[in-house]
Amino acid sequence: MSKLTLNRRRFLGTAAAGTAMLASPAYLRKAYAQGGEVNIWTYNDFVPAAFKEQFEAETGIKINVRLVDDQGKQFNLLAAEAPNPTVDIMTVAGHRFLQFIESDLLAPLDTDRLSNWGNINPTFSESDWATIKGSKWGAPILSGMEVLAYNTDYVTAEEAETWDTLFSEKYKGQTAYVIQDMMSIVMLMMGYDGNMVAYMDDPEKAAAIVEEAKNFLIEKKPLVRKYYDGGAEVQQMFVNQDIVLGHSWNGPAAALINDGLPIAMSIPKEGSYGFVYTFNIANNCPNPDNAYTFLNAILGSPEIGAAMTKASGFISTYKGASEFLTDAEKKATSFPEEQLANLQFFRAEANEMKYGLVDPAVEAIKAA
Amino acid sequence: MTRGNRILLSCIYWAFVLYVFVPLILMVTMGFKDSKFIGFPIKSWTLDWYSGVFANAEVLSAFTYSLVIAVLSTLISVIVGTWIAVLLEGRKFWGRALIFGITVLPALVPGIISAIAFRIYARYLGIEPGMGAIIWSHAVHNVPFVVLVLMARLSTLPKSQTEAARDLGADPIIAFLRITLPYLAPAIMGASIFCLLLSFDDFVRSFFLGGYEPTLPVLIFAKLKSGMSPEINAIATVALVITAVLGIWAERFTRRLNKENG
Amino acid sequence: MTFEASVRTEHGGTAPKTADRTFWGRLANWAPYRVLAGLATASPRRQFVILAALPLVWVLTQHLGPMLQMLRVSLTDAYPVAPNVQQSFTFEHYMKFFQDSLFWMPFFRTLTFAGVFTFCTLILTYPVAYFLARHVSQKNRMLMLLMLLIPFWVGEIVRTYAIMILLGNTGAVNLLLKWLGFIDRPIPFMYTSFSMGVGIVYLTALYMMLPLYSALEKLPKSFNEAAADLGAGAWTRFRRVTLPLTIEGIASGCTLVFLISTGFYATPVLLGGPSTTVFAETIAGFFHVAGDQWPTGAAFATIMFLGALLITVTFQKIMNSLRKGDVR
Repeated sequence: MSKLTLNRRRFLGTAAAGTAMLASPAYLRKAYAQGGEVNIWTYNDFVPAAFKEQFEAETGIKINVRLVDDQGKQFNLLAAEAPNPTVDIMTVAGHRFLQFIESDLLAPLDTDRLSNWGNINPTFSESDWATIKGSKWGAPILSGMEVLAYNTDYVTAEEAETWDTLFSEKYKGQTAYVIQDMMSIVMLMMGYDGNMVAYMDDPEKAAAIVEEAKNFLIEKKPLVRKYYDGGAEVQQMFVNQDIVLGHSWNGPAAALINDGLPIAMSIPKEGSYGFVYTFNIANNCPNPDNAYTFLNAILGSPEIGAAMTKASGFISTYKGASEFLTDAEKKATSFPEEQLANLQFFRAEANEMKYGLVDPAVEAIKAA
Repeated sequence: MTRGNRILLSCIYWAFVLYVFVPLILMVTMGFKDSKFIGFPIKSWTLDWYSGVFANAEVLSAFTYSLVIAVLSTLISVIVGTWIAVLLEGRKFWGRALIFGITVLPALVPGIISAIAFRIYARYLGIEPGMGAIIWSHAVHNVPFVVLVLMARLSTLPKSQTEAARDLGADPIIAFLRITLPYLAPAIMGASIFCLLLSFDDFVRSFFLGGYEPTLPVLIFAKLKSGMSPEINAIATVALVITAVLGIWAERFTRRLNKENG
Repeated sequence: MTFEASVRTEHGGTAPKTADRTFWGRLANWAPYRVLAGLATASPRRQFVILAALPLVWVLTQHLGPMLQMLRVSLTDAYPVAPNVQQSFTFEHYMKFFQDSLFWMPFFRTLTFAGVFTFCTLILTYPVAYFLARHVSQKNRMLMLLMLLIPFWVGEIVRTYAIMILLGNTGAVNLLLKWLGFIDRPIPFMYTSFSMGVGIVYLTALYMMLPLYSALEKLPKSFNEAAADLGAGAWTRFRRVTLPLTIEGIASGCTLVFLISTGFYATPVLLGGPSTTVFAETIAGFFHVAGDQWPTGAAFATIMFLGALLITVTFQKIMNSLRKGDVR
């Protein structure tokens, strides 16, 4: 990983500006004076090492990172700790907000306390999923999407323009996907709203749609090599050539491309879903002031966003972050405009109904 | 025994050794691959992953942390396990079968269930997540294995020996310390290795009960999120070599101690 | 070896009461110790109470406690409890399993897989344990046994990925077969019940090996020799002498392996295919994917556990009657 060169003067400048701008910058003063710590649950490399070092030196606040590897575990852990969590900041995917919010695990984000909030690309910070119950719940940092990844030695770019290829006889036994995610995409392929927000008032229609998608995936079960769960799994399958195409998140696929493997990805014409990783503040967290200081600092410069992209393969939500990427990195983390037009975000409003129907369907597909 | 049989059996043994070792050899080899992903073909080689392990403070501290947890939890498991084994073996009393059942329970509960059960219970008891909680959960989880191994060994202890000591006037405590304990020593050694191994390798319990410092498996899991890189193979290999060397050293050391005392 | 060692100490040292100079003698005569020991061992009853106190407290609070908590969660309507919500008790999570045939398939599949893999482990490790216990000299035995244990020191996940690059389409086995000219196209080993078996037997071999080895080691050589003198062939000797006498080791090894393999999660998930979903995955789904269904997950875990326990008890009964039958 190339070294992160954070502009020290600019960093200080922003912090000072923030202090000057806010009417009551008590949290900053307190942080500077007291030091203390901030506890973070996040993925490997989501908090760049160089940033961590600099932040600790300048604020005296110690960053304790606890590495996590999945959303469900974070939820279980937090649920087990509530109502007195040890954590200040977590990393929740935007469409998983609701589950955390309804269990009273997240605190609403006071964006007025974040002078650098404006550094985030509004596509992400002001998107429809970002506001729930009238509040913001997290600061977007990285964006991912469901893509069709393929081995360019075997699959052509034309074939990768449609999800249908994933279910064709030609690639029998050479495909893989995450069933849960695929359910949403299959609904989209069939012309329905995979977020199910459109059917919130019509549960019968929703059930029928899920049933249709379920039957489709059961019918296509003989063609698939593997239902997988984690990014590392799909990467290994591509490396071992156990599969030549599969549904993937863009991050893991980008890492394969960056390593020089003959992999490419596309957003097929039927469309696909995107999601956003956000930093969130835990409800009743032990160090709320330090948490805000941290959030504001990490949003401070596009270089930090670029460093996160380099490490994870996901796309930065920061304005101007791509200027700090090499050409190869840019290529692995960008899509043609016409493909991006097919993308929409996952939404959480109908999650309870959706997953109430989808989870049993997933079990049924696995059991079939 | 016929010669043919013996040759056949030794072939099976070496075939089994091959089965057990080939994945290990692949793991060690992949640590030298110059790429971010393991797998064939290997186009170029590098020593960076291995040298990187020793320069990585995070990995080293996770390793020490895991080792300390393994040793302390093993100590507790062995003491409690021996105690329970002595109580249960060769004694008939009301509820013995029930106690035996409860004793082996933790070994039989699926990992994730046991981890969550421990987490809920820790909260109920007011144990803070962290090193103490991990040690506690590992110790409880490993007690059944100690009990099973020691009960098997105890069942072969000739009664005449302890009785002879008692006849010579030793009270039960001294008889236990002088006769039973030395007799159990190899089994205790074996059970300890087993416990150390289970604790060192444990992910679920460590994850659910841990604080901000990761154990080695927890760190590896988190790193896996960004791909199965040769780095992870290098870390696992180095950890394996160090633990194996420590294990052999400990075995030699205790053997020498035993000799001196004998 | 240690048996001899302990006998030696017994004869080498002098009896505790007479030897005032040894450590043990001094300890035995040390006043505070004598008071304590006297108190502790005053009557057999008190001795037993003191011996039993710690184990009882430990197993009841530490072993049973977490499981009872789990059971409690499985009977509540929601967990974690949202503030200001009254929790109530219910059996609905258990009913869910019995009402929906969807869950039966992975449940019975898990039990079948566990049975088959246990059998495979037994078949594979018995000759190995036999070889170690009967054909290897005392001196090398420990070393050769330890050699088999070393790979178990590598974490489950790393080992599982090693199996992937062993069996994958461009894995070591396929590369070797191709190089030898046996195949043109790679054989898809991965993501089948075969690859899953390879991974699981790897995990269970150790649990099977140790009980088998200790059972075989205890078996006196003279038994076999006597049978041979009576003119019994190798196979007959094995079937009539060795097998019946090691049946206890087989029973305990199989029980342990069966129960443990019903709980495997990571390995079957990583190495299995679309049609090998195990129940542990179903259970974990309630904790991972659909986060707030802890009670259902807990209830299903209890069902799984009881199911596996039932089979084990039946198995033990059969083994017991088998043993009695053979002795006769």
